[in-house]
Amino acid sequence: MTLLNPRLAKVLGIATLGSLVVLALFGLWIAPPDAVQSDAQRLMYLHVPSAWIAYLAFGVTALSSALYLWRRTRSPVWDRLAGASAELGVLFTGMTLLMGSLWGRPVWGVWWAWDARLVTTAVLFFLYVGYLALRRVPAPIDARAKRCAIAALVAFVDVPIVHFSVDWWRTLHQQATVFTPSLNAHIHGVMAFTLWWGVLAFTLLYIFLLDKRYRLETLEEDLDAKELAQAIEERVAGAGTTAPPGQVEVGAGR
Amino acid sequence: MKFAGYVIGGYSVAGAAFLLYWLRLNARIRHAERLDRDA
Repeated sequence: MTLLNPRLAKVLGIATLGSLVVLALFGLWIAPPDAVQSDAQRLMYLHVPSAWIAYLAFGVTALSSALYLWRRTRSPVWDRLAGASAELGVLFTGMTLLMGSLWGRPVWGVWWAWDARLVTTAVLFFLYVGYLALRRVPAPIDARAKRCAIAALVAFVDVPIVHFSVDWWRTLHQQATVFTPSLNAHIHGVMAFTLWWGVLAFTLLYIFLLDKRYRLETLEEDLDAKELAQAIEERVAGAGTTAPPGQVEVGAGR
Repeated sequence: MKFAGYVIGGYSVAGAAFLLYWLRLNARIRHAERLDRDA
């Protein structure tokens, strides 16, 4: 089971690849170098879209988790979507940290600084790595889904802290350029276009990967259910009795 | 280009990371499909 039909997924895959190639062309050649940071600023076209897509991915995880916890909308679809999106969030957060580190070295002179924005982002990364580990802890599917949904909502508290850290504390990291209270970003036309193109390309990449990751989540869940049914069958056959399934303890481990 | 190592290195690492993740995801899907069929 996938989120998109196969034809749409294929078109999306081609569009994603094309948009990433265009992003590389604009980011590396067409956009002018920055007046102060020179070419090092070109890493912004990967760093900033990665960070925004990580927010989006964790937002989707939090929303899906809330929908799973709410009895009226409870469905395994939300749990699978939350898990799939969280893994992508970790991927994009890792990319944000890596690109930020590569950008920081020529501009700040250090690979890493104990700065509020950097530390809260690293905390976000490890919170969701923990969430992914929690999803792997063997447990009945419903219990696992509930505890993971709660963990995802708790972890999401760090997202606004990351975003506003540059306003709340004095940081080495620059303050917001685009999402300011007045929303009037002073960015050169081609640079602004490249930045927004990067956001578009990474959004397409996120949707493309989410569709695939959701399929994997569904397959693994089906496999768990089959293994559970098989284990119950074997236990019942072995005992020669008709023990109720509730007495057989088999986890949803992978 | 100034800081070419950082910039080209950054774009290369990002491209490689996404490509590896996509390939690994496909391998995990194929593995799960095979187990699902055999189960």
